[in-house]
Amino acid sequence: MEKIYAPDGPLAPPPITLAASPSVLAGLRIGVLDNLKPNAKLLMQRAAEQIATRTGAKVSLVTDKGPGFNSATPCSDPIFDKLEKEVDLVITGSAD
Amino acid sequence: MTQTYELLDLVDASPEALYDLFDARGWGDGLPLVAPTSARVDALLEGCGGDPDEVLAVLPPRFGKATRRMVAVNAALAGCKPEYMPVLVAATRALGEKKLNLRGVNATTHPVAPLMIVHGEIAERAGYNSGLGAFGPGNRANATTGRALRLILLHVAGAVPGPGDASTQGGPAKYAYCVAENTAASPWGSYHRSVGVDAASAVTLHCGEAPHNFHDMESDHPSRILDKCASAMATLGQNNATIAQGEYFVALGPEHAATCAAAGWTRRDVSSYLFQMARLPARLFRAQFDLRAWFPWMHAVADDEMLPITGEADHIKVFVCGGAGKHSCVVPSWGMTSSVTLPIE
Repeated sequence: MEKIYAPDGPLAPPPITLAASPSVLAGLRIGVLDNLKPNAKLLMQRAAEQIATRTGAKVSLVTDKGPGFNSATPCSDPIFDKLEKEVDLVITGSAD
Repeated sequence: MTQTYELLDLVDASPEALYDLFDARGWGDGLPLVAPTSARVDALLEGCGGDPDEVLAVLPPRFGKATRRMVAVNAALAGCKPEYMPVLVAATRALGEKKLNLRGVNATTHPVAPLMIVHGEIAERAGYNSGLGAFGPGNRANATTGRALRLILLHVAGAVPGPGDASTQGGPAKYAYCVAENTAASPWGSYHRSVGVDAASAVTLHCGEAPHNFHDMESDHPSRILDKCASAMATLGQNNATIAQGEYFVALGPEHAATCAAAGWTRRDVSSYLFQMARLPARLFRAQFDLRAWFPWMHAVADDEMLPITGEADHIKVFVCGGAGKHSCVVPSWGMTSSVTLPIE
């Protein structure tokens, strides 16, 4: 019987590993990273506020990605550093 | 480094059975395929040399390893000849260049596809069409090389509509999008040498929309021809409209290029003229778009002034392509991507 190659091939290790999600949100600080897509900020900030109300967390930072950065790019390094220092979890990557 | 590849039993060697097998697995581009047997893949690898297991690029969002062997597997599926492999190897390397932003290209809802432009002596040697009907259909090299790159994206990168490619409507350029530069008809030499790639052959990837045609049957001066190109560029519906880094590839037909050259215009003159003419009132951009990815100086332009559709003349790239006739085209990019030109080994 003839064999053929599968067309997708081997995988590389993931370039990044996401941090584990916290199991309890009470008392934690939620950040919203706006990607500037239409209504992204509205949608994610509302979601963050509802999560905070239900869990006892707090929405402590709402920011965009920095000047010149947008939905097609990662955020700027200063914004990344700010998020890392000032919040415990981030909501991002959504729009309507 | 040795890689491990999955091999499948081909229970039934008929074309229909292979077609059904790939369809059932969610593989392929919807068209019939050629079985990637070891013999075919080995023959294709002979066409490029090098280590078959070398990782040319890791392609998101699946993060598949694009080795020479995986390039050959997908080239076999597409119906490529071995002599096309050097083009595909260089194009695959280009997919992995950071500035091309493949992750964004595959994640966007825009119908972007990598346009592959083959430059230099390999175009003639391997039979690529740079002349009449270069964008297709009808030429095996253009069609199967373009298709193979798409199959690499579908399979290795995982750019499957839905989970791996968010394009709202998709597009015909996502099947196969490959042309050759008509260097013989170019008054300005090869494009790749104009961007500093000193090689006998090269390939460019430009992630853009399908071609926007412009025609001028009657003008004997560059300005009237290029005004029509500028008109096609300065439109509000394209993704580049308020993205200052957006590039445009202008594929001038040989007759339009000859008219420009006869007037003493260089490639750079064409780009500079288009930068001056492809403009709209700043007020119009502001009225139409809340999100404006402009360079800082563009934000300061007064409402009544004309604002260019892109931030720099160098973003407008010019090459010659096609045969007899008075048609040319422009390919606007997706926006958040930069073209890549690499030498062919």
